[in-house]
Amino acid sequence: MAHENSSGVLSYARLVTVARISNLTVRYGNFTALDDLSCEIPEGCTGLLGPNGAGKTTLLKTILGFVNPTSGEGTVMGKDIRTDGMAIRQLIGLMPEQDCHIPGMTAVGFVSYAGELSGMPPADALRRAHEVLEYCGLGEARYRNVETYSTGMKQRIKLAQALVHGPKLLLLDEPTNGLDPRGREEMLDLVRSVSHGRGVNVIVSSHLLPDIERVCDRVIVVIKGKLRTAGTIKDLKKLAGQPADVELREPSLAFSNLLMDKGLTVAPPKGNVYRVQSELPPEELLRVVQRAAIESGAQVRGFETAVRTLEEVFLEALTS
Amino acid sequence: MSNIKPIADLSYRNYDGPLKKPGSRWWVIAKNGIRIALKKKALWGLMFVSAWYYLVMLVVLFFVNQVTASNPAGAQAMKAFMERLVWPDQFLHGFSYAQLPMLIIALMLGAGSIANDNRANAMLVYLSKPCDKREYLFGKWIGIALPIFVIMVVPTIIFYGYGALTFREYGFLKDAWLLPKMLAIIPIAAIFHASIVVGISSMFNQARNASATYAGIYFITNFFTLLMGGIWASSRGETPFPVKHLFYASIDGVLIGVCKAIIGTKGSAPFGIQSPGGVSQVPAPNIAAILGIALLISVVFVLIAWRKIRAVEVIG
Amino acid sequence: MIQIENASRWFGQVIGVNDVTHTIEPGVTALLGMNGAGKSTLLRLITGQIRPTTGSIKVFGNEPFANPEVYKRMGYCPEIDQFYEHRTGRQFVNYLARLAGMSAAEAKTRTDEVLHEVGMADRADKKLAGYSKGMRQRIKLAQAILHDPDIILLDEPLNGLDPVGRREFMSYLHTLAERGKTILVSSHILFEVEQMTKSIMLLHRGRLLAAGDVSLIREYIDKYPHRVRIETPQPREVAAKLIQLPYVLKVEFDEWRGGIELQTRELNQFFAFLPTLTTEENFTITGFSSPDNNLESIFHYLIE
Repeated sequence: MAHENSSGVLSYARLVTVARISNLTVRYGNFTALDDLSCEIPEGCTGLLGPNGAGKTTLLKTILGFVNPTSGEGTVMGKDIRTDGMAIRQLIGLMPEQDCHIPGMTAVGFVSYAGELSGMPPADALRRAHEVLEYCGLGEARYRNVETYSTGMKQRIKLAQALVHGPKLLLLDEPTNGLDPRGREEMLDLVRSVSHGRGVNVIVSSHLLPDIERVCDRVIVVIKGKLRTAGTIKDLKKLAGQPADVELREPSLAFSNLLMDKGLTVAPPKGNVYRVQSELPPEELLRVVQRAAIESGAQVRGFETAVRTLEEVFLEALTS
Repeated sequence: MSNIKPIADLSYRNYDGPLKKPGSRWWVIAKNGIRIALKKKALWGLMFVSAWYYLVMLVVLFFVNQVTASNPAGAQAMKAFMERLVWPDQFLHGFSYAQLPMLIIALMLGAGSIANDNRANAMLVYLSKPCDKREYLFGKWIGIALPIFVIMVVPTIIFYGYGALTFREYGFLKDAWLLPKMLAIIPIAAIFHASIVVGISSMFNQARNASATYAGIYFITNFFTLLMGGIWASSRGETPFPVKHLFYASIDGVLIGVCKAIIGTKGSAPFGIQSPGGVSQVPAPNIAAILGIALLISVVFVLIAWRKIRAVEVIG
Repeated sequence: MIQIENASRWFGQVIGVNDVTHTIEPGVTALLGMNGAGKSTLLRLITGQIRPTTGSIKVFGNEPFANPEVYKRMGYCPEIDQFYEHRTGRQFVNYLARLAGMSAAEAKTRTDEVLHEVGMADRADKKLAGYSKGMRQRIKLAQAILHDPDIILLDEPLNGLDPVGRREFMSYLHTLAERGKTILVSSHILFEVEQMTKSIMLLHRGRLLAAGDVSLIREYIDKYPHRVRIETPQPREVAAKLIQLPYVLKVEFDEWRGGIELQTRELNQFFAFLPTLTTEENFTITGFSSPDNNLESIFHYLIE
């Protein structure tokens, strides 16, 4: 993580663990929600992935200190999840998935009330509520009753009430639910900006993998109550052998045949994208590709080191 | 900041100010409940309505006092009036007649307290903060009980003060414990109202449904009490055994019973008017029994609320 | 299949859909737009729940409004999910099958079929109240395809599905499209739409802003020149060369990630020229791409 220190120079601090969970098992009756799960969540922005019913929700609840684990232990910011739930929740902000607000209040009233509930003195809470609402893009609508808000605004106010007391860890459950493209982009930018260089650590749980890719540095994948994969998104997306993706204007059989004649491995195209495997460094490979394109009358529109999408990473983790 | 820049950075910054330790959130919740209540103008009107008996009595007593002071012929009439007037019973009446407005006040304060939160999923907000179910419920409950207590206690004290200053020679202070007794009864009533309304509110997600339900229970049981009172009076107190007990089987009945039992009176006609003997009044119930019932009902409704508020459903 | 001609619909002074003309062909078409752009109004017009104030809508050549003949061939999967919560998924679908006019036996077999198709066969006997969002979406789809309609309209069908469910759902839509069905899907999630179809309808404040094939639409957006990113260890040399091309409008250096980003009006000519840099002039280029060649950029360019 890069931090800007007081002298304004970028320095790399060592990764600090925000949450550490070891051998945690949670059972509800006969149902095992978490099965001997161990994981570490370092500071920064972490995506929490998993299919429905995989235990994501239980893990979030555990981090909030709501769950009484059958066995195992965990700490969140140094506080025990089994005994220190209240202290943990004072340091955490939760943005729940469902619509929620406190009825009969203006946005400012609601957010400052949320701040007071977190323990802020009333004067600080009110001042900070104005600040946070401004920051969440609700500055103009802050004196309106929350009940009159649109979906996008309700989503923002949920973030505002989670941020008001300056949490060190922010849990976001499907933060872009129901937002239109512009709303989703603004929400993601907002999340990204609080989670980078502002000292707020974020855990995002979402089914929308491109959203995760946009805001998170790393992901953990939980499947059937167990930790399946964890790591930085960059590492997880890497492909063995570093093939390149070549995008043509139009698919061309002659082009791929030419490359194969030159001893390169070309996978069957997806649309007009060809995945080419070779030992050459990228700039040399590009020369080969472009010569082949000129020869075969094709036009290269894109050339990039191929990576897996996060969806592919996820689906692979699911089946392995 | 060591170096002051000409342009302020207004982007997100952290809050590093003080945070109170968990454990006092109930007061934040109660305060908010009271704040919302005070914004309702109707509440102020209802406060006067609820004190109507005391207000009328104050006017009557003031008038009687003035007239007799200026007109010695009236002294005879005043003496008769004062003899009929049972001072503790004035508090019983003041208390009893306040109950219907108090129901409306309780509904205004409390019907939506949990119901609206249910509708808006507010529990997610509350419980994700360092605030647990106990504090939530207690805060909501105090936010209703405290205003009800204040609304009932103020006119009682004013009336007592006026009586103690003006009518000492007419035996106003005969029961030295009258004020402490009233100060014991009023919190019981406040607790009773607040507990029931919190319990009923927690069962719904619309304030109006909760209101309708509570009002329904109130009026049906009260009708029953009136009926029993009627039977009692028309039979001149010679009715079979259960009537005088069933008289107290309503929201008002329980509270009137508590009031009668603690003050230790059977009651008399209001405004010191001529009453046809004492039989028309139902005798006070057994103090332990009626307090037990009031407490039991309060506890049952609070438990209902406790069961209905689910802490675990914070996510998913 | 669906012909919309100058259709407008307003509610009092509020306009839902304003003078929309378009023909929706078989296959998957995505209906895009911001909240309040008129997507739901359009869907309600096509499903015949409301009537256009002016203009006309024809489905199989007939007006859909209050027309059971049209309804018989149309399936609708609304966004809201409020069901008879105390019933099981199977009971609910079966009930709707009976409402659609099937006999008891027919309804039963058809219910089993569609539940199997949407992957709910094993879970359909639980009460709806306990369903997750993804399961609700599947049940909604099941009821929409019950009577094997030719037109299927889906309002935000992928909401709440996990990535696996999403993938299954999309491949199922493709199967339906291959069977020749007309499918209109409204969605906010643009990358999903990109995976589903190339054909879009973009509504903005009630007007039809763009309709047709995504790449074709991009070519017609003149206002925004195409952006091209080039990864190179010698950005200034490459830039000096490229800036001389008459159709390159702007070159920027990316201080953060390295490389350059340029803007051009003639994508075709530009990409025809680019190989000369590497093959003839020996510049080192490790990659290039068009960051705005996706639905998201197109959406923003059109709406802003």
